[in-house]
Amino acid sequence: MTRYMKTAVILFLICAVCTALCAIVNEVTAPVIASSIESERLAALSDVAAGYGIGEENAVGDGRVNYYIPLLSEEGGTAGYIVELLTSGYGGEMTVIASYDADGTLLEAKLMANSETPGLGKKAEESWYMDMFRGLGGSEPLPLSKADLSADDSAAVSGASVTFNGIASALSAGSDYVKGLGGAV
Amino acid sequence: MSHINELTKGIFKENPTFIIMLGMCPTLGVSTQVSNAIGMGLSVIFVLTCSNIFISLLRKIIPDSVRIPCYIVIIASFVTIVEMVLHAYVPSVYEALGVYLPLIVVNCIILGRAEAFAGKNGVLDSALDGIGMGVGFTLSLSLIALIREVLGAGTITLFPMGSFSGVITLPGLSASPVRVLTLAAGALLLMGYLKAFFQWKTERCKGGKA
Repeated sequence: MTRYMKTAVILFLICAVCTALCAIVNEVTAPVIASSIESERLAALSDVAAGYGIGEENAVGDGRVNYYIPLLSEEGGTAGYIVELLTSGYGGEMTVIASYDADGTLLEAKLMANSETPGLGKKAEESWYMDMFRGLGGSEPLPLSKADLSADDSAAVSGASVTFNGIASALSAGSDYVKGLGGAV
Repeated sequence: MSHINELTKGIFKENPTFIIMLGMCPTLGVSTQVSNAIGMGLSVIFVLTCSNIFISLLRKIIPDSVRIPCYIVIIASFVTIVEMVLHAYVPSVYEALGVYLPLIVVNCIILGRAEAFAGKNGVLDSALDGIGMGVGFTLSLSLIALIREVLGAGTITLFPMGSFSGVITLPGLSASPVRVLTLAAGALLLMGYLKAFFQWKTERCKGGKA
């Protein structure tokens, strides 16, 4: 019994010291990481704004949509929305920032935080990846599976179907959400 | 064995990549660009040296029955520290290394050296073993990445500094690169040739027939 207790105490102490070390480093690096993530988010918002002005952020947090931001035309009206979407891929949770016309047509989209496999799912971070969704979602539906894609696009996402399905379902949910918002804030 | 031997054996005589053949997964996975190889190599040097020192210090305290869980906790902690530091200060390398960074926890080199060396030897020798093996791994990884990137893409990607973008483009090679070398098949092919070269060199050093 004493031997088991001694083993458990040693294992506990090693774990405690290691946890303390990680906690100290986290305390130093967390603010730097948070600031860098915020800068990336602001850059992404500016990239997907498609030349429109960016309005005030409105929190949603329903598990699919984190928040939405109205896109303002030069006249001050609502030209569309930027939506931050949550979805899941092969490596776990993914965040997508997308902009839509008021009728739900996708203007631009960008894959943000993700843990997809380099060379496969990570391809979704490249700008060409969103070409297969751009301009759809309004009168024409967004592709929801590989069967809805052209042969070239289907080959491009080959080997990363889970990532594609996650992004496609998020963009579709975003389009539906924007349709629900309509043209008024 | 002298301390110098402990330091230098990992570079050639017991090179983890070409002689002991450990850590093949990250070797083939991240050796597409020189900057990734250097980033991965430096991370492994840090984790290997720190974990070897800790494990060597605690070798008389850690009960034999729970030594592997203890080793894994120590290694995982140092990998987590490297991950947080890279994410905060070198985000481009953090992004490029992707899943291979947390996978250092189960890298055979780290656990292999903990089990085969640090758990049985003193702190100084274990630290030198960690540095030597880490440097050997970094040099091997950088050599593979350099050949793959130069021949496969016609570029050498380093780290941006001031007005230097970090990418050196090689005229001629960048226009008609050997694309297969950037793919997994090319990595395995190159690894085979380099392994054969190191095998030949080792045999020659031993005085045997090449």
